[in-house]
Amino acid sequence: MTEANGTVITVAGVSQVFGAAGDPRRVVALDNASLVVERGELLCLIGPSGCGKSTLLNLIGGLQTPSTGEVSIDGEKVRGPSPKKVAYMFQESALFPWRTVIDNVKLGLAFQGVAKGERDQRADEALNAVGLRDFANHYPAQLSGGMKQRAQLARALGLQTDILLMDEPFAALDEQTRMVMGEDLSVLLARTGKTIIFVTHSLVEAVFLADRVAVFSARPGRIKEVISVAEGHPRNRSFMTSDKLSRLRNQLYELLHDEIRKTLGESR
Amino acid sequence: MKERRWIYHLVQLAFVGALLGLWQFVTANGMVSPILLPSLSSSWDEFVDLLWTGSYLPDLEVTLYELVVAFAIAATLGCMVGYLTSRTRYSVRVFDPLFAGIFSIPTILLFPLYVLFFGLGAGSKIAIGSTIAFFPVVLNTIAGFANVDQLYIRAARAMGASGPQMFWSVMLPAAFPVVITGLRLGLLLAFLSILGSETIASLAGLGHRIVTYAESMDPAKMFAYIFFAVIMAVVLSTAVNYLEARVKRGHG
Amino acid sequence: MKGPVISPGYARLLIIIGLLVLWEVGARVDGDPLFMSPPSDVAVALVGFLSDTAVLDAIRTTLYELVTAFLLAIVVGLPLGLVIGLQRFARGSFYPIVLLLYAIPQATILPLVILAFGIGPPSKIAFGFTHAVFPIIVTIVAGVQNMNPTLLTAARSMGASRFQVFVNIVLPHMVPAFFTGMRLAMTADLIGVLLAELYVSQAGVGHYTRLFTESFQPAKLFAIVAALAAIAVCLNETFRRAERHMSRWHD
Repeated sequence: MTEANGTVITVAGVSQVFGAAGDPRRVVALDNASLVVERGELLCLIGPSGCGKSTLLNLIGGLQTPSTGEVSIDGEKVRGPSPKKVAYMFQESALFPWRTVIDNVKLGLAFQGVAKGERDQRADEALNAVGLRDFANHYPAQLSGGMKQRAQLARALGLQTDILLMDEPFAALDEQTRMVMGEDLSVLLARTGKTIIFVTHSLVEAVFLADRVAVFSARPGRIKEVISVAEGHPRNRSFMTSDKLSRLRNQLYELLHDEIRKTLGESR
Repeated sequence: MKERRWIYHLVQLAFVGALLGLWQFVTANGMVSPILLPSLSSSWDEFVDLLWTGSYLPDLEVTLYELVVAFAIAATLGCMVGYLTSRTRYSVRVFDPLFAGIFSIPTILLFPLYVLFFGLGAGSKIAIGSTIAFFPVVLNTIAGFANVDQLYIRAARAMGASGPQMFWSVMLPAAFPVVITGLRLGLLLAFLSILGSETIASLAGLGHRIVTYAESMDPAKMFAYIFFAVIMAVVLSTAVNYLEARVKRGHG
Repeated sequence: MKGPVISPGYARLLIIIGLLVLWEVGARVDGDPLFMSPPSDVAVALVGFLSDTAVLDAIRTTLYELVTAFLLAIVVGLPLGLVIGLQRFARGSFYPIVLLLYAIPQATILPLVILAFGIGPPSKIAFGFTHAVFPIIVTIVAGVQNMNPTLLTAARSMGASRFQVFVNIVLPHMVPAFFTGMRLAMTADLIGVLLAELYVSQAGVGHYTRLFTESFQPAKLFAIVAALAAIAVCLNETFRRAERHMSRWHD
């Protein structure tokens, strides 16, 4: 059971604009988004393509700076990547193909600045946590899609950050693998108490995993509504088939349907 | 389908055998001038003699020396220039077509100029070898470093990688396979052009040796050296290909 | 997002002009006239060639050698390539031999070719031919092997005879590969003919490069090299465009 222990991330009036005013190719990726993320919660960002949810994730992770507004973590303004506080997990496997699984985890630790002696132990623990200990010396090319993502997760976990940002991490996996990975993630969250922000396209995945779901509108991306799921972690199979999940999923569908249509209707 | 392969090898052997037989027949019956085509047996004798006495050594040394120096120059310059060019999209767009365009000119044309500048010695061969080898190296180095998947760079940045860490642990390994291919191409091209330029104008080296025997009307020795040079080329090519594959395999 | 100030094409032009200026200044200030010549003198020499029938004839001879070798390579290479590509037995038994021959460093047999064909144009044509024929065979064989077998099956299912399939499906499909082969063949042909010319030449450009080198006339040497380089670039570009044009339907 996770408790809200106060705010850890604050997004205040953040906009991300590409191109100058008057430029016909000007793109407003994110429009005046404001959000508060509680410590230990799993927040899902969901919305149609191009609605700015990945942009928001990049802003929180410090990989981009906002055109207006401010993002702060633990009260401090975000100016660049904060590897000690925030770990990132990508949709495509960002594992370095020229290194084995365990070397990938250790390299992440090296980047973060962890001392050499500590790296082996932390890498071991991380791989254990995701169940990949037996594949430590394999190369990413030898792993299945689900295993690659688990390896990426291990690398992120090894960094032992408070916050975990996940950009559609299960999108490249088939639906069945996704469901299982989702369950595992929920168990992990309950155990570690990390704060997780999770971008997804899947409505069921959002409801199943999240404490709250932030729904985005079509471009220019605004946060349309934030839905509370109010269900304890770890989530299990019974939740997947419950009426509550169906109800919330339908609610999301109603909110998103028109936004998706708007996005597809764009002739760009 | 394995039986098929067996038949092919048989045909190939028969073909080669027939050619050799024809060679022996034609020379034994005086159908071709012995100045042009020595007998198969005398060529073979000269070849064995060449290997046995090691008379190829001085010329082989010269050729290999030219190759090593030319390649070292081309590899160093090519990698440096290639890496620096790859750093901004703009410089890639400016320089890559420039290098590619120059590469399309037959580099051997520069050889008379190099002979004018450097004379008939090793200098002109090293110059032509390094000139021709420079281009595949620089083009492949640009391609390798400019095309590192942005995903890896983002991930490393997010994990807090420093500049040197980014270069040594991410960019270099990512670019490595492409750069190695460029180096292989450069080495082989350098070898071919050095042989060619030794043939055209030189004082020493394998190419020059072949010319010497052609001019002194000693075709059996000429054939022996041709055969030797071809074997050297095959050995070099095989070694380099093997090395490349080895290095790439250990790369994951 | 700021765009670049100068387009890459102009930047390249500026770089080339800059280098020429550097060369001009460097040669005039510090150049030994026996070995170095500023671009302005080279340009003068180039213009001089236009009225020099001997040099023009040499260039003409070289072009004649180039074209003849090229045509021969096509006449021999195209049918050979088709046979080897289409006939499984021929491919299995003879293609490895072709590849083996292709791998021989041809510089080693240059003196032999000269001995066999003499020091006149025939030896240059022969050497150009041996360089050019292999790319044609190899690209044609590759082109045949890349053919989508579904196309052949579809044609046969509609009742096409083997001959009809060959003429209407195989041959048109070969066109892009053939043009690629021609471009590579021309490049190789150039190298072959130039190598032979530089080795020994009575009436071709090789004769004059040797003459200008040995008599220390760098301006004329640079000029003739530049002229040949320009011809090479033009040929390459022409073939490249033709190839691209012919490959439009190819993915």
